[in-house]
Amino acid sequence: MTATENSAEWRYAAGKRENFQVQQFRHTASGIEGLDRVLNGGLIDGASYIIQGRPGAGKTILSNQVAFSRAAAGGNVLYVTLLSESHERLFQALSTLDFFDPQKLGQEIIYVSVFQTLRDEGLGAVVKLLRNETKRHNATLLVFDGLLNARDRADTDLDVKTFVAEVQDQAAFVGCTVLFLTSTRLEDNSPEHTMVDGVIDLSVELIGVRSVRQLQVRKSRGSAAFGGLHQYEISQAGVTVYPRLESTVACSGMIDENIENRRLSTGCPSLDDLIQGGVPQGSITLLAGPTGSGKTTFGLHFLSQGSEEEPALHFGFFETPARLLMKATSLGIPLQKDIPDVFEIVWNPLAENLLDKLAYQLLGWVAARKVRRLFIDGLGGFERAATHPSRLVEFFATLANQLRGLGVTTVMTWELREIPGSYMTTPSAELSAIIDNLILLRHLETDHTIQPTVAIQKMRDSTFDKSAHYLEFTEKGLIVGGRISGRAQPISLLDQPRGL
Amino acid sequence: MALIVVADDEFLLTEMLSAYLEDAGYEVLTAANGQVAFRLVKERRPKLLITDFMMPLMTGLDLARTVRADREIADLPILLVTGAQGTIARRHAELFQHILDKPYNIQQLLAIVAELIGVP
Repeated sequence: MTATENSAEWRYAAGKRENFQVQQFRHTASGIEGLDRVLNGGLIDGASYIIQGRPGAGKTILSNQVAFSRAAAGGNVLYVTLLSESHERLFQALSTLDFFDPQKLGQEIIYVSVFQTLRDEGLGAVVKLLRNETKRHNATLLVFDGLLNARDRADTDLDVKTFVAEVQDQAAFVGCTVLFLTSTRLEDNSPEHTMVDGVIDLSVELIGVRSVRQLQVRKSRGSAAFGGLHQYEISQAGVTVYPRLESTVACSGMIDENIENRRLSTGCPSLDDLIQGGVPQGSITLLAGPTGSGKTTFGLHFLSQGSEEEPALHFGFFETPARLLMKATSLGIPLQKDIPDVFEIVWNPLAENLLDKLAYQLLGWVAARKVRRLFIDGLGGFERAATHPSRLVEFFATLANQLRGLGVTTVMTWELREIPGSYMTTPSAELSAIIDNLILLRHLETDHTIQPTVAIQKMRDSTFDKSAHYLEFTEKGLIVGGRISGRAQPISLLDQPRGL
Repeated sequence: MALIVVADDEFLLTEMLSAYLEDAGYEVLTAANGQVAFRLVKERRPKLLITDFMMPLMTGLDLARTVRADREIADLPILLVTGAQGTIARRHAELFQHILDKPYNIQQLLAIVAELIGVP
């Protein structure tokens, strides 16, 4: 069946389009992996989407990234503008981005402006032009930048609805996917909104002092997209979407399969003695304590036990890799840093991090290196990255499950502020459910001397030495000493800022 | 007054170029696509055609070919102004009197126009 000028055929095609959709949903990857995950499969062939967002949100970069990905895969793209920056300026701006390939311009991707047609002849003429150009170019993707302008030119809502419907239908008829870009946030009940198959909302919010980019799929006909807000960033790589971990990462059944019934040595024999030889494989241990209590050193011991069978990873926010290595050297703790794939340090300075990005980075390293010993220094680094702290419990639960499923034994640090009389030993009550083991590093004051101590507060499903012990910092690292007798009092360090 | 036809789908560019050309003393007609440009060239027989490459309905390259294939207007001087298609255009350099890359310096363009059809 060939497309003709006869509008009656298009009305017939409009009716048919519903059938097309029900029978088969063929997806094409958008070229933005995180977006495809959020959409749960990519863009549906022949479907129409609205990409809405204020200027600067990233619509142009996103749609061009999709266009170039389509072109690289051998498809043709028709990119239609109304009244916007000149195509030259656009190319100049895009030329700084990795996905831009100037060879594709005018070949696989053609850019045309239809402003004059709209101004002089109206919406109907634009529809016809698009039909002809899509056919002439054999386009499988049509980007229409300027839905708002089309709206202005329309005399009534019906005109807009007709415009969208006609463009949508003729594109669907030839299997061409459409992206309508608009700068207004269309209401959910607007005529455009009701016509299209999907609505993707890009926004830039001010949260505190941070500028946070968030993507939301407000409508998704034909596939169960993951709703809610997902963070994205714009960089030289273009748009990168980080789907919200706890919503898009499935809780797979393999969680319990990888757990072996054995212990991993902490690297500190005197500590192993307190906990039946080490931490249980696959468990998550929280190491809580104030600054200077030995958390980082503990991590070095734990990771020093890394090997080819048990690759080790230090995922931290505080100490630089150089500082860590220096510390290990000065304590005589061997880290096998020269043996490839056995030991790695991944450092994210405590800047404005994206929570999900951190998780994917961590899981990526863990999966790629088959990490078995993981030291996270510390939980606070994730916490500080969260723009919506209420997410953290579910986020950590998902992260923990993923790590378990990957066969990792994890030790995480948590910085405590010592308040007289009360200890906040975990970030929240719900979080303690995720923590299998809890080791407390506390400072006691005896005779006006600050004495580090260690105590096991919790070891899931196993017995342990319940008493607090002295903790010695020696030239060879940490050594757990004898039990503490009755009199010593927990130290009170009032108003000490956390993190120093 | 010497007539120039300017073909470019980008409205702002044709407006700006027309303004400069008119200030310089030429008469200008604009076309938003290759098909309209060809019609104008046939009907009005301008002294010069300035055309973009990437346009709807008919590209600047196809426009030039069509003009050259029509004996009545085959001698029309054509100035191609292009951003991304410079390389492709230069493979068919024989179709154009001059190929100018975007972004261009307007004074440079006016100098080329003067060279091709004289100053009004």
